[in-house]
Amino acid sequence: MKFVDFVSREAIRTDIEVDNKEQVIRAMANALLEAGKIAEDQHESIVEAILKREELGSTGIGRGVAVPHTKHPSVKELVGTVAVSDSGVDFDSLDGEKVHLLFMLVSPPDRPGDHLRALENISRQLRDETFCRFLKQSKEPGDVWQLLEEADNNQFV
Amino acid sequence: MRIVVLGAGTVGRSIASLLCLHRHSVTVVDTNADRIRHINENFDVRGITGSASQSSILFQAGVGSADLCLAVTGLDEVNIVSASMAKAMGANRAVARVYAPVFRDLSTFDYRRHFGIDRLLSLEHLTALELARGIRHPGSVVVESLARGELEVHEVMVSKEKKGVGKALKELELSKNVRIGSLSRDGRTWIAGAEDKIQLGDRLTIIGTRHEIDDVKSLFCSDTNQKQRVVIAGGGETGYHLANVLEGGHHNVVLIELDRDRCEFLASHLKQTTVVNRDATRRAILEEERVSASDVFVACTGDDEDNIMASVEARDIGANTIMALVGRPDYAHVVGKLGIDHAVSPREVVAKQVLGFLTNGPIVSKTMLSEGSNLSVLEIDVKEGSPATEHVLANLGLPSQTLIAAVIREGFAAVPGGDYQFMPGDTVIALIADEMIESIEKVF
Repeated sequence: MKFVDFVSREAIRTDIEVDNKEQVIRAMANALLEAGKIAEDQHESIVEAILKREELGSTGIGRGVAVPHTKHPSVKELVGTVAVSDSGVDFDSLDGEKVHLLFMLVSPPDRPGDHLRALENISRQLRDETFCRFLKQSKEPGDVWQLLEEADNNQFV
Repeated sequence: MRIVVLGAGTVGRSIASLLCLHRHSVTVVDTNADRIRHINENFDVRGITGSASQSSILFQAGVGSADLCLAVTGLDEVNIVSASMAKAMGANRAVARVYAPVFRDLSTFDYRRHFGIDRLLSLEHLTALELARGIRHPGSVVVESLARGELEVHEVMVSKEKKGVGKALKELELSKNVRIGSLSRDGRTWIAGAEDKIQLGDRLTIIGTRHEIDDVKSLFCSDTNQKQRVVIAGGGETGYHLANVLEGGHHNVVLIELDRDRCEFLASHLKQTTVVNRDATRRAILEEERVSASDVFVACTGDDEDNIMASVEARDIGANTIMALVGRPDYAHVVGKLGIDHAVSPREVVAKQVLGFLTNGPIVSKTMLSEGSNLSVLEIDVKEGSPATEHVLANLGLPSQTLIAAVIREGFAAVPGGDYQFMPGDTVIALIADEMIESIEKVF
């Protein structure tokens, strides 16, 4: 599963400045809402589901990256977005570092295969130091999108 | 029916005895030969010594032709593997008991679906919900055990001249996540329709998501804002879930836990609960934590004796209502005499669930809405190929005096609108007059 198959270009944000985990998750869900990817009346329910997942163990996987995700019946297909935070967000990460790069994924419960393939793709591509660093340095959503396309064409791995 | 119970610990044994009492054919599997001997001597069951995760043992136990397989050993992993195997080998329904919350969360990995198991039950979670029910709405029906606590049925008495009074339901512009279920007036109870006007003195049931139900309540009565003070002794899984369900809303929750590391976990996960790192079995500490000024005291440590003693102390200090987790069946008779108002036993909670799995038809459970009414709350499984899956809700031609209150799909509860399309595997919560039950059974 490629990035461009589930990341919503219109929902990418590179100017996220927030104080905590809940705020960044809220901001990313807002971005998905503004991009028309999730319904307004489901926004709160999605945010709560993602926060509930975080309670089981942080999705901050280290090296400044977090992948908050959930399944939710209100979406008909996988939707995702990317956020970059210059100052970083405290995300209870495994290594205690602040998070600068976030991938959010919301997928329908009846497509468990796609969900797992998307998560697998994110973690595999992010193993590449250069890709990761370039993403964190992105100043415009267009830059992020271009990097994702390049990663999809195997230019990093 | 033929039922295979995997695991002969406290839970397995009590389920087996309950099923025997209901004259089912029961086979019990456990690795411990002494336990099997004990259960064989006491109940009319077939016992097999061996590991529940071995196909040869499951085969001997006859899971292939079982109506229900219950995996209730002490190990989550064994329960998941063996329930999955039982289902694959032909059991009609397979249920696994799990302790760790992660197994029931499907965000990252859907264990239930991947392993092909019908239900994953957490005893601790179910117990917490049972305690919460006793605290929040004693005597009311709460269907939250299925909907992860998101969905509730509340009963309200229309007590004040508020803005909802004197209006027809259709004029109220209720949120679409809330339904008015039944309406009682002058000794008669029926399912409310859009034309019904709400009058002073009416009793209403309101069904919906937890957050929105209170908004609707405020349309009809004013005294919803009193905060109850709840003190919970013991911050294990049950205490944690209980605090989680209660906090915010109308409860000030204090949770007392002895283990320092556990307190750190609790404090970071429970945003609105006061977590206290002390020993709740000591009277001086209960006094200092002002148990005397609490509305409800709940003892839910892992130890029956501690729970009973803490409850007796709390009663003596002056807590208003006392609830306790009491596991041992032989203690059940004395708890009332000791001044414990409500004792909850995890075994009984799970037994209630298990009996629900024994139905053949689509109806999983049936609860009377209130004492003496002819309305029931039904939990219905939507079956493959049933008429209900062929049309949207509005076109199903449901019988009169029927209200589809909610539907649970993949663990998420929602109140369905007229354009909702049911799918096999959905669980439907319906409010229905008893004489209509047969006709609704045909639809699902």
